[in-house]
Amino acid sequence: MTKIRAVLAAASVLFLTACGGGQTPSPDASDAGRPASAGLTSVKVSVIPIVDVAPVYLGAQEGFFAEEGLKLELVSAQGGAAIVPAVVSGQVEFGFSNFTSLIIARSKGLPLKVVTPGAGSTGAQGKDFGGVVVKADSPLKSAADLAGKRVAVNTLNNINDTTVRASIRAAGGDPKNVEFVELPFPDMLAALDKGSVDAVQVVEPFLATAQKNGDRVIASNYVDTAPELAIAGYFTSEQTIASKPDLVKRFTSAMLKSLKYASDNPDAVRKVLLTYTKIDSAMAGSLTLPTYPSEINRGSLETLSKLALQDGLIQTAPDLGGLLP
Amino acid sequence: MTVAVTAGTPGRGRGGRRHRPLPTWALGLIGLAGLVTVVELAPRAGLVDERFLPPFSDMVSALADQAATAEFWQSLLETLRGWAIGLSIAMVAGVVLGILIGGIPLLRAAMNSTIEFLRPIPSVALIPLAVLLFGTDMRSTLLLVVYAAFWQVLVQVLYGVQDVDPVARETARSYRFRPLTQVRTVIWPTALPYMMTGFRLGAAVALILEITGELIIGSPGLGRQIAVAQTSGAVAAMYALVIVVGLIGVVVNVIARAAERRALRWHPSIRGEVPR
Repeated sequence: MTKIRAVLAAASVLFLTACGGGQTPSPDASDAGRPASAGLTSVKVSVIPIVDVAPVYLGAQEGFFAEEGLKLELVSAQGGAAIVPAVVSGQVEFGFSNFTSLIIARSKGLPLKVVTPGAGSTGAQGKDFGGVVVKADSPLKSAADLAGKRVAVNTLNNINDTTVRASIRAAGGDPKNVEFVELPFPDMLAALDKGSVDAVQVVEPFLATAQKNGDRVIASNYVDTAPELAIAGYFTSEQTIASKPDLVKRFTSAMLKSLKYASDNPDAVRKVLLTYTKIDSAMAGSLTLPTYPSEINRGSLETLSKLALQDGLIQTAPDLGGLLP
Repeated sequence: MTVAVTAGTPGRGRGGRRHRPLPTWALGLIGLAGLVTVVELAPRAGLVDERFLPPFSDMVSALADQAATAEFWQSLLETLRGWAIGLSIAMVAGVVLGILIGGIPLLRAAMNSTIEFLRPIPSVALIPLAVLLFGTDMRSTLLLVVYAAFWQVLVQVLYGVQDVDPVARETARSYRFRPLTQVRTVIWPTALPYMMTGFRLGAAVALILEITGELIIGSPGLGRQIAVAQTSGAVAAMYALVIVVGLIGVVVNVIARAAERRALRWHPSIRGEVPR
């Protein structure tokens, strides 16, 4: 009888230690050996696993978030459309999105607030991380020639079609008759090859793949829109700012550090790409990286807002002051 | 060696009755080899662009690269776990509810239209709901898996319960078997073959929805790895992962059939196949 009881007691002790392992170390259990990660606040960030978000992975790797007492949990989403609801509902604290999406959301009254920039255009004509590409033997020479043609963009009524229109205007063409077709980036080069579209607006790594295949870049739509256009940023909701101001402050500071580090160490960026994407190492070495600015280019956001208004994406201009930090 | 010899002969000696027909597994292998040859040669011959469909050998080497990463095995485990949990929940719920609803004629009549309304809703249509409820973690995908597999099992169990011999049922009743004894001795043996069919169908559907959920919602697993490979422009790696998913499908089917044979080894439908 006592034997059974002893066995049961031992089993329950084992069970309890197994369950409690790693969660709440009892104070007497070797404080010295306690890992530094024990006191970290968990923070969830929703990102799309693409080249643009390399700094956040790099920052996590370099320990910038741990320095601020944050344990970063990166939730990868397949598209920006899933990120905004997740941030608004509080399922994640921060998200990554392009600025046109945020301008649209803000103009519709969603309580979003940008905390830091994320990625920007290089500002170099023909040497940006995104552009309009045609087949090698295409008669199209510049953005102005796109009038009346079929152009693929990844999302209709968003940053890419508005900036392609801006590009056409800048080249002296009329963007009215351009037919935009919605296609996911991975399908674009096949569609271009088959001839079902005349031009595609792609970003890395598909831009480098296209150029390797001999396709021509006829316009750098982000460069044509504004000098050093701000493309995307990290944002949160006003509820999170109100309820966790300290968390927002710490995340912002770690994120800015990560952006600065990414900006200063492009080789580290290319290396970290191999950890969260499946881009092959030769491609990772050769593709054009976006810039990872530490400050939001407000002028270019006004341009994006004006374009969104002009192209009918939004009816009223959003208050950019409220959107930006 | 033996396969090659027997494979060569049927062409000429078709009439000869002494040649035993090829076993099913050998025919299956020949079919697979044919597919592999087509996938290898079509891109090499320029029938399709290598950029969009790389030759089979490229996919295999991409698969070897994948297999060297911990991430791959982790994803494989997550997919299998999601599939197993989802299928188990669907099986238990389907069998219990099926016997309950099927066993009580009044309940069955009342539930019939509801079941016929809910069953055809494609699980994929529930993705927005799943994401709103659970975000992008594995529970979203689990919801889809359970929903899809549940109907397969439930409907089969309902048919099975309906198939119970009325005389046996009445006999059990007149001997005043308790409800649970009736289920065990009368309903269960009749419904079991149907249940196993439901299990086999459910196992396949659960895998499809598991991968779909991961691919579209982005919950962890092989499906998400496929999506990441796609956005990275890693075409060969993407096909390599698709092949792995196909192999899992084959294994799942083999296991489901084996389970069926084992559970029904007493049943005429299975017994009849053995002596041949």
